[in-house]
Amino acid sequence: MAEHVLRLSEVGVEYRTPAGAVTAVSGVTLDVPASGMTVLAGPSGSGKSTLLRVLSLVERPTAGGVELRGTGTARLSSRARRKLRRREIALVFQNPADNLIGHLDVGDNLRAAAQAAGRHAPVEELLEQLGLPGTATWKVSAMSGGQQQRLAFGCALARQATVVLADEPTSQLDTSSADLVLETLADLARRGVPVVVASHDPRLIALADTRFDLRNGVLAA
Amino acid sequence: MQIPWRAAPRAALSSPLTLLVSVVTALLLSFVVAAATMHSAASGSAAIDYQQNRLCKEALHPSLEATGVGAVPHQHVAEVVREITAAVPDKRPLIGTYTREKRVDFGGRPTEAKFGYRPGATDHLKVLQGGSKDGLWVPQSIAATTDLQLGKRGLGGRLPPVTAIYADVIDPLPEWWCSERHFVVPNVLDRDELATAVVWMPSAESFAELPPEAADDTDITVRFPAAAPRTIDQAQALLTEGTARIAPIRGGFNREMSPLVLPVENAAQTVRNVRSAVLPLTLISLLIGLAGIATVTVQWAQRRQHELRLLWVRGSGPFALGGRGVLELGLPLVVGGAAGLGTARLLLPVYAPSDALPPGTGSMAALAVLVVVVLSIAVTFATGALRTHRLFQVANRGNRLRKVLTALPWELATAALAAWAWNRVQHSGLSTTTEIGGLPRIDAAALAFPLLVVLTAALVTVRLARWALAASHRARLWSKPVAQLAIRRLAAASGPVTGVLLVGVLAIGTIAVGTAIAGSQKTALDVKSGMYTGANSFAQIKPDTTELPASLRGDSAIVGYVEQHDRTALVVDPKTFRDGAFPFEIDPALLNEPLRVGNVPRREVRLPGLPPVNPTAWVPSFPKLGRSGWVVPVDRIEDRKDVGSWYVWSRKPLGELTEALAAAGVKFRNVGERSKAVRGLPFLTIQWTFGFVTALGAVLAVVAAIALLLAVEVRRRQNALSGAFSARMGLGPAAMLRSHLLELGAVAAAAVVVGISASAVSTGFTVPKLDPAPRLTPAPEVPNVLPILVTTVAGSVLVVLVAAWIAVRSVRSAKIGELIRG
Repeated sequence: MAEHVLRLSEVGVEYRTPAGAVTAVSGVTLDVPASGMTVLAGPSGSGKSTLLRVLSLVERPTAGGVELRGTGTARLSSRARRKLRRREIALVFQNPADNLIGHLDVGDNLRAAAQAAGRHAPVEELLEQLGLPGTATWKVSAMSGGQQQRLAFGCALARQATVVLADEPTSQLDTSSADLVLETLADLARRGVPVVVASHDPRLIALADTRFDLRNGVLAA
Repeated sequence: MQIPWRAAPRAALSSPLTLLVSVVTALLLSFVVAAATMHSAASGSAAIDYQQNRLCKEALHPSLEATGVGAVPHQHVAEVVREITAAVPDKRPLIGTYTREKRVDFGGRPTEAKFGYRPGATDHLKVLQGGSKDGLWVPQSIAATTDLQLGKRGLGGRLPPVTAIYADVIDPLPEWWCSERHFVVPNVLDRDELATAVVWMPSAESFAELPPEAADDTDITVRFPAAAPRTIDQAQALLTEGTARIAPIRGGFNREMSPLVLPVENAAQTVRNVRSAVLPLTLISLLIGLAGIATVTVQWAQRRQHELRLLWVRGSGPFALGGRGVLELGLPLVVGGAAGLGTARLLLPVYAPSDALPPGTGSMAALAVLVVVVLSIAVTFATGALRTHRLFQVANRGNRLRKVLTALPWELATAALAAWAWNRVQHSGLSTTTEIGGLPRIDAAALAFPLLVVLTAALVTVRLARWALAASHRARLWSKPVAQLAIRRLAAASGPVTGVLLVGVLAIGTIAVGTAIAGSQKTALDVKSGMYTGANSFAQIKPDTTELPASLRGDSAIVGYVEQHDRTALVVDPKTFRDGAFPFEIDPALLNEPLRVGNVPRREVRLPGLPPVNPTAWVPSFPKLGRSGWVVPVDRIEDRKDVGSWYVWSRKPLGELTEALAAAGVKFRNVGERSKAVRGLPFLTIQWTFGFVTALGAVLAVVAAIALLLAVEVRRRQNALSGAFSARMGLGPAAMLRSHLLELGAVAAAAVVVGISASAVSTGFTVPKLDPAPRLTPAPEVPNVLPILVTTVAGSVLVVLVAAWIAVRSVRSAKIGELIRG
């Protein structure tokens, strides 16, 4: 097994805008360990989310390369990248509702997430682990933001992904809900699932096993 | 199938508005193609109906006559009739038998008479005296001539007794008699009393036993009364079966009549003409409809963006996500398609020239709808896939396809097509129809010209609007916040605004073009027919009839007609001519002097029966004469008998004219009426084509109205937000309403002005050229545009008022949570 689950080499991302090219990330080289929680920290606009999208193979960098478990992804076709995302990666968005399918109930959300990765979800077991027992038939809209976000991590668990990435998972939650999410993240990390989180939440940063600070799209020394 | 895909159809219920829009869009799209299919097929039925109304309905089935040289010796008549009846056991023929005119003595003054027998004839005559069916039925004309009384027996008692005197059968003939016109209507003028009406025998046996001096040769007519066909297929079947039916018995008959041959060909040509003429606009409407489906899918992708992104992040590709769209929107599209097909069938009597559809049309329309639904589903799939590809896979790369499509000068392409179509209008256009047997030929490309002008105008308007909206940020009208806010809202919604403008201009333009051209053809057929016949109805009379019956005075006139080679002249009574003639514009004083009409040379002319005339007065056209001839006042005539022929022209229907003449004892022949004078099928074909164009325009208008209302409803939250801000800044509700009225009214006004102007210009050029009968005056003219202008303005005002109300309501009913949501 590779020592690092994800590796970025001199990654740069530029966006074309009517005002010209804007550099979001530049020359980022980092390794994400194969276990524990890695946090990409930095203020808003520092490039955390961009880097997370690159790490999750959602976005192609304009420069540099990304390796997933030692496999270079730069030359992969969109289809091959999708295949990797399907099997290896789970991405949790900032807004809890964005991680779930609103018209499916809780159980079906877990099943759908697992199905996408070609796996089977032990729904009740997962809900027990998430502290959401008996909610399988609930509508998603009946859950609080924190519960929804924990369910989102449940979906990531159901997918049995190689790596779980999360973009500001607590930023839209109140303190008590955020605590529940932090607990879930810590639990994931304890189980040996490599977790990469982009956040500026100090409590979440405090949980990090590995931390990378970003400033203006560049890794801070 | 994975859960999100399996649950997609149910997920559609979460957005009733998208569901409704999908259903309505598919409904309109399917309606257009189903209606186009049904309309063109129905035009064939209408063409059959129109043509058979000009024929004798009783003899539409192929029939036979033995007349003149083919007449049958009287001794064999009964045998011939028996043979015919036996040869066609599947359908009972109606056989008429008529002797030639012979001198007959009924005891009074001898007279010429012919005898006839046709089963059921006495049921279709108007009895004046008597009525028993076991004796002779004598026409009033003969009874009056011979002073005949009931009970008399002719030929020295060898004929059955006279048991009824009936009113002579006169034009216009009842349906039952129309095929026998040549035998039953006395030819009173050409041969005076010799060509008589028929003395009807009581039975076939009595006819067979007529004494030899009353009957030598016999004319026989064999008809097969059949239900009038309503469609081309029925007419073709009647023709084919009828031809096969008479084949074994045609020997011995010298005339075979198949009156449906030409109507069937003409009707088939009409279907081809209409189909090819409505095809371009149908295709344009189809493209607009599919663009609508694509827009609905884009909106769906926008609404489902989070879910699609989640599925994409989890490894689903654009095709799978496109399929997700199909699973959600497909069922509404199918439902809409079925509803469109049903609506097209239900509304057939409203938009089509006939409600009779040939067999298979329903299946053809259903197939067309199926193709459209499949296309719609394909567009949904492709749009969903492309949208997700652009949103997630190649995000931030810019939409090059859209830029290219927007930059392409489509209006130049349509303008070039319009120029080509104009060339066709000028050089080929439409063929004349007055040739006997000539099939109407219509150039679909020529008919497309006005629509291409409207389309070009619409595209130019959209281009200008897009530029104006892009440059509108330079406008600084904050001193007039109502206007400034309206402009900013328009600029912020450039896509929907230009889309609505495009469809709106097309809708109003096509409605205006459709009604103008259809109306012009209807009027042209009416007026040309009137100018061709000279009057609503006419009948030839004897030269010595100089006074009109009292019942015809005030709406009829006696007119002399002179023809020599290609020169024609009318002899008119200046006092009464305009009472009977088809309405036309002329200074009444001009009729007191000889007149030159149209392009005849200005020199003395001599015509038989007329004094030499060298008129100085000139008119461009004249009833009956068209654009060539002379008009001479009746007081210049020395002897009326020298004038070729004399007619009564009347504004009354033909039936009333002939009844009045018959009642007054005025003998007449050669009757005619305006409604049957000109072969109107080409006029009607254009009328039907543009009637459908109007229907398509109405569909586009509905699309434009719905699109405008939806565009307002979709940006409900933006309206609410900006309205709340504006209200905070002191904009009152009335000003807000004015601002929305200004914004939406500008779009509607632009659509009305451009649509009406483009259609007015294009039809102004086209209508005089779209003349199926250029030899007849006058050329078609553009009808009054005021009614259509008032209608479109009223419709637009209504839509704008409703849309503005929705916009203002969204501000007033907005909830606080909705306004502060991130």
